[in-house]
Amino acid sequence: MSNITHTSNIANVEKGRSLTQDAVARLRKNRMAMIGFYFLLGLVVIAILTPWIAPYSYEEQNLALGASAPSAQHWLGTDILGRDQLTRIMYGSRISLMVGFIATAVALTIGVLWGAIAGFVGGRTDAFMMRTVDALYALPFTIFIILLTVVFGSSMLLLFLAIGAVEWLTMARIVRGQVLTIKRQEFVEAAVSMGLSPWRIISRHLIPNVLGPVIVYTTLTIPSVILLESFLSFLGLGIQPPASSWGSLISNGVETMEEYPWLLFFPGLVLTITLFSLNFLGDGLRDALDPRASKD
Amino acid sequence: MNSETLLNVENLRVVFNTRNGQTVAVENLSFSLHAGKVLGIVGESGSGKSVACYSLLGLIPTPPGKIESGSALFRGRDLLQMDERELQQVRGNKIAMIFQDPMTCLNPYMRISDQLIEVLLQHKKVDKKGARAKAIASLVEVGISDAEKRINEYPHQFSGGMRQRVMIAMALLAEPEILIADEPTTALDVTVQAQILALIKNLQKSHNLAVIFITHDLGVALQMADDVLVMEKGRLVEKGGAETIFTSPSEPYTKKLLSAVLTTAKPVPSAVSETESPLLEIKQLRVGYASQAGGIFNRTTTFARGVDEVSISVYPGEILGIVGESGSGKSTLGRSVIRLVHAQSGEILFNGNNLLALSLGDMNPVRRDIQMIFQDPYASLNPRMTVFDTLAEPLLFHGVATRDNVLDRVNELMDDVGLDRQFIRKYPHEFSGGQRQRIAIARAIALKPKLIIADEPVSALDVTIRAQILALLLELTQKHNLTMLFISHDMSVVRYLCDRVVVMQKGKLVEEGNTEELFSSPKQEYTQQLLAAIPKL
Repeated sequence: MSNITHTSNIANVEKGRSLTQDAVARLRKNRMAMIGFYFLLGLVVIAILTPWIAPYSYEEQNLALGASAPSAQHWLGTDILGRDQLTRIMYGSRISLMVGFIATAVALTIGVLWGAIAGFVGGRTDAFMMRTVDALYALPFTIFIILLTVVFGSSMLLLFLAIGAVEWLTMARIVRGQVLTIKRQEFVEAAVSMGLSPWRIISRHLIPNVLGPVIVYTTLTIPSVILLESFLSFLGLGIQPPASSWGSLISNGVETMEEYPWLLFFPGLVLTITLFSLNFLGDGLRDALDPRASKD
Repeated sequence: MNSETLLNVENLRVVFNTRNGQTVAVENLSFSLHAGKVLGIVGESGSGKSVACYSLLGLIPTPPGKIESGSALFRGRDLLQMDERELQQVRGNKIAMIFQDPMTCLNPYMRISDQLIEVLLQHKKVDKKGARAKAIASLVEVGISDAEKRINEYPHQFSGGMRQRVMIAMALLAEPEILIADEPTTALDVTVQAQILALIKNLQKSHNLAVIFITHDLGVALQMADDVLVMEKGRLVEKGGAETIFTSPSEPYTKKLLSAVLTTAKPVPSAVSETESPLLEIKQLRVGYASQAGGIFNRTTTFARGVDEVSISVYPGEILGIVGESGSGKSTLGRSVIRLVHAQSGEILFNGNNLLALSLGDMNPVRRDIQMIFQDPYASLNPRMTVFDTLAEPLLFHGVATRDNVLDRVNELMDDVGLDRQFIRKYPHEFSGGQRQRIAIARAIALKPKLIIADEPVSALDVTIRAQILALLLELTQKHNLTMLFISHDMSVVRYLCDRVVVMQKGKLVEEGNTEELFSSPKQEYTQQLLAAIPKL
């Protein structure tokens, strides 16, 4: 009666592979995702090593030099104050990547749990939790941030908090919508009828099945968080000059894009490639985590 | 007249090019259709029976589909050589189709009148007024009462059977010569199915239509067809007159299909002692669904009755069948026992405990003893868990097995349900429907429950697989001394499996009795209707 061919040998089968191992194996086969992964990995390594490998100091000015085009000494040119662009981008990546990953992780954790619980429990709990989300949505973001700055002053921690507090709302809505459809499926009812605890049902049966859209949304969140940081820095929250981030480099570059286009081009290029890498990696992860996506 | 050949298909070969290579959907199929005759095409899912007919009308998606070779002569012209414009003249006009699911085939945003008139305006030279009159006449012909008024309604205002009648009316509007019916009654209730089949048969005679009747159900094919083609995996297995195929099939596959049609009573009755107290006792159970109507200020909440004052006892060791059509409340009854749905009033006594009085927390330990098998094996297994994880989860969670011996227990379960131990690291999508249902059954018996609630466990499966799964269920109930509540719409399945039967209609209990008594001398009219609707072999 079996119409599955017995190709795999028994020893291999008995050992078995977990979902994670399966996913890693599938991810490795996806070329674009691996390119994205290695690019991001390289970026992170460079960001960590920056204080030791940066060619110049990020704050040392050379007003005599002014804004100079890329040259042998300054590969990516210098800004108006004569600071080395490459160094500033390297230092900027420390801030931007940290903000991007940590704030997104905060948003991801809160959003997924909040949405999954609201969707699974349903009823009044769901209504209360989602109205809370609606209320937070309605709060004007700028005023919220200014309020935070006034009360707590400006710090990196606050930056993560502020961004996380905003970004999780959409995540919660996405996850809740997905959970509502999956909850009706029989395998969840089967889990309920086996007497499993609600927490186990949420963590083992619901969340793994909403990973696809969550991962895609996450890869879109990271770049938007990186840009959000520049806006917050502009408001006086987050990093202050002379420290740099990609966002602040880009917004400075926009001001002088007609005279000194390289000041916009290079930070923009780095951000764009990062964004592509994240998207490729995200697509790859989504496929890799779905056992139905490929046959191997 | 009768010998005139309308459609002659020769050496039809259809393939699908997919990422994983080429699959042959139809291989060297030849048949001919005579005027005024019904040709039944019988096969299980994946046998290519639908693809063959769809490709005649250019209705398969190309790519990935490709008609590699063959010819289909209809009135001297090859359908397979026609371009899209010519095919449009044939489709719906000369050759009409009716489909399995009447809900998805009617546009929910268009009135029935507009959908019918559209067909006429497309194919016939009539004005709008004449078209409307014709549409009404056709609705009357297919047995829709009050057609003048109902023609202005939308599809959702019709029941499933009525919608299928509308589809048939629509198909016949353009006075086609050939009608292709693709599983037209599969989505319908059994009593409705009998009516629709009778209607098609009558219309076929009165219009002198040639009909290609595609079905997976041999019983239905025998009832409808003059000639039968049996297909398996894209190949023609056997063809011949309906009587010959059924009385003396020559091919083993046909014999297998025939033997899968259950006409027999339960082979071995379960060891039931009614002197014992019942394992499950349902008393005066009422389950309703709240539906709200009206605006914000005059909102009214009404309760549609799912289950209405039903009392049932299930004794240890027996298999109790609950039979009914859709909307009879049989599934709701089963689900309310494990409190997947909320019951309004009544008592559910399990081993003397009233389950409805337990808090949800206290309910969880009891759930161990009551397990459920669901209808759709594609939806009832978590796609992201391997078979091992699925089966190990309840064992580990309830502490029945430890990490050290869980593999042995899972392997035993695989043996129990007749699956190869090698498969435990595979994911559900790598299995066929029947194999998945075996996994679901293994999961249900993993905790050695006292009671199993099986909600239509075989209705999503092919007939030959169905017979295997039923045999497995029977074997397991005897081996593990299980008690089962078996919910089904299929009378023949119930007869094969159950010791006692409860018939439900519109939430109420209609009749109850021992299986053989109930089948041989049904007392209630509704039960008689249900029994009469079983296709006879």
